[in-house]
Amino acid sequence: MNPSTRIVVNWGHLALLAVIATVIAAYLIDARATSLKSNNLLFIQPACVVGLILVAVVVVTQGFRRVPAAAETPGAETSETKAPAAQSMSELGKVGALMAVFVALALSMGTIGFDVATFGFLVIALRICGEKSWLLNLGYSAAFTLLLIYGYGAIIPFPFPLTVL
Amino acid sequence: MLDLSAVESAFGILTSSYSAWLLVIPGLLVGLFFGAMPGISITMAMAIFLPMTMYMDFLPAIIFLTSIYTGAGFGGSVPAVLMNIPGTSSAVATTFDGYPMARAGRHNEALGLALAASVIGCLASYILLLFLIVPVSGAVLKMGPLELSAVAIWGMLLLGSLSGNSLPRGLLAGVFGLLLGTIGMNTAGYVRGTMGVPWLLDGIPTIPAMMGLLAASQLIGLVNTKYLIDDEASRKISFRRIIGGFRETLNYPTIMLRGTVIGVVIGAIPGVGSSISNLLSYSEAKRNAPDGHTFGSGNPKGVIAAESANSSSEGGAMATMLALGIPGGGATAILLAAFATHNIVGGPSFIANSKDIVYAIIFSNFAQAILLLGVGLGFVYMAGYIVRVPMRFLIPSVLVVAVFGSYAIDGTSSGPITLVIFSILGWVMVRYDYPVAATVVGLLLGGLVEGNLLRTWQISGGDPSYALERPGAIVIFGLMAASIGLTAWSSRKRKRAARLAA
Repeated sequence: MNPSTRIVVNWGHLALLAVIATVIAAYLIDARATSLKSNNLLFIQPACVVGLILVAVVVVTQGFRRVPAAAETPGAETSETKAPAAQSMSELGKVGALMAVFVALALSMGTIGFDVATFGFLVIALRICGEKSWLLNLGYSAAFTLLLIYGYGAIIPFPFPLTVL
Repeated sequence: MLDLSAVESAFGILTSSYSAWLLVIPGLLVGLFFGAMPGISITMAMAIFLPMTMYMDFLPAIIFLTSIYTGAGFGGSVPAVLMNIPGTSSAVATTFDGYPMARAGRHNEALGLALAASVIGCLASYILLLFLIVPVSGAVLKMGPLELSAVAIWGMLLLGSLSGNSLPRGLLAGVFGLLLGTIGMNTAGYVRGTMGVPWLLDGIPTIPAMMGLLAASQLIGLVNTKYLIDDEASRKISFRRIIGGFRETLNYPTIMLRGTVIGVVIGAIPGVGSSISNLLSYSEAKRNAPDGHTFGSGNPKGVIAAESANSSSEGGAMATMLALGIPGGGATAILLAAFATHNIVGGPSFIANSKDIVYAIIFSNFAQAILLLGVGLGFVYMAGYIVRVPMRFLIPSVLVVAVFGSYAIDGTSSGPITLVIFSILGWVMVRYDYPVAATVVGLLLGGLVEGNLLRTWQISGGDPSYALERPGAIVIFGLMAASIGLTAWSSRKRKRAARLAA
């Protein structure tokens, strides 16, 4: 190995590839467990094999990048191996927090009611996104919740489970 | 090709009731509004208003429903440009350049381009249809599963043009999407990959998955930005610039014409039509343009190519519905149902015996497309104000609207759960420079490719020489090979030109 360079592992990218490979492998195992007949595997099996080969190709060619040992030289990376745009921990924390409340909204709206879940999501998400004024936050969240519940309620043929409205 | 006595009779039908024409503008507005709302599909808008038309006469009922169809066809491009949310699968390619244009402060021009391309594409498609409805429907009737597989595989190969910087990542994103698109019960009755979740038997719900991958993931990634457009001066809503975008479309007649022909021909194929035609038109425009490398970063030609094809697909789908009685999608199925409530049944005998009604429908669509010009201009002007809304309000609001939209599809939690999972997946994929659009296209086509390959396998008994008995499939495969070869050649030519310039 050239002593003037070192290898940087792109852990986030490798984690994504691990997830994709796991999903593909699990799907292939499940499909083969269902039936080994052509009517079942005609398309899935070759597609899964191609998918796993592509994962391996991406891991080998793009999961690791060689950088100068002293400092990272601009332009030394190709577009294929570059790391994602740098984001500070606080910026990533905001993304993570927003994802968490988004997941909570989808999972809770059926049990605590669309009205309460939507209002709660809007209040927290507005705060995460940077709205400082609580008065504006609560007022907007309440008004938008009312608009959505009654607006969508008038259009779509399915009832919303509601708790307050 | 054009039966003049039937044309005269069609004018007689259209002028028999002036009150029917009063329904065009309300129909267009309903279509625009519903089309622009994430999660509310054209099908849903038409389904909601279908019962109302049962009490109307035939002409007002069909004019009203086709106006909704026309309005919604363009309405979907408004969120595609402004928020990267394709209202339907036919607006996927509009996001590629429309959204980067909006983020660069050229949202006025992008909306003007999209409107002009839609209106002109729609008009041109119906003019083509007037002459081609009989031969096009004859060709569609000859298509078997092998030909449908060939068209779908062609669509998949277009992923090469969507694959961004890295071919392996593009292919992996596409194959992953294809596999996800086959989850559930296949046409032979085998259930795979459902993990015991009952709603996955029908496959992954595509609209919430598409909204999650393309839109919600982007919005979550924008949590640290203040406005959709950073530069304050660029956020202005300018009628003059919308008209400027409109005029700019007229500078690219070749892209428009090619998009229209692709839209009519591919749009006539049931099931795959509009989702493939916009991608095919986009990739053809990218391949032929000298500045093809700038596609995907806000090139107006990309918007024109996508919009001219998806709006003209409407004409193609209408041809199949009228001539064969085969609805290409949900919206044309509702039109067919509306026909049935007025004792009119689409099909080969309908086109032979009721040419006057067919021409009347085509002429009424001309009028709708022209009126869409005026109504659409007002609509995009109002919709353009979205870029002035601070992101701290826009992100939570659009996310919650997407959740409601995904719930509205079937009234269960399957939509919201799918939306959230694919939003997270989309965010991670975008972070590592994977083209999520390739996954979306794969997801849309996975079931179709598998189903048609399976039918071909069953018909042929596993004999590959069966392909030689299908000249249609050979022609499609030939076109596909020519298209790939030309793409490789033009890409090489472009690289050589860049080298020489350097």
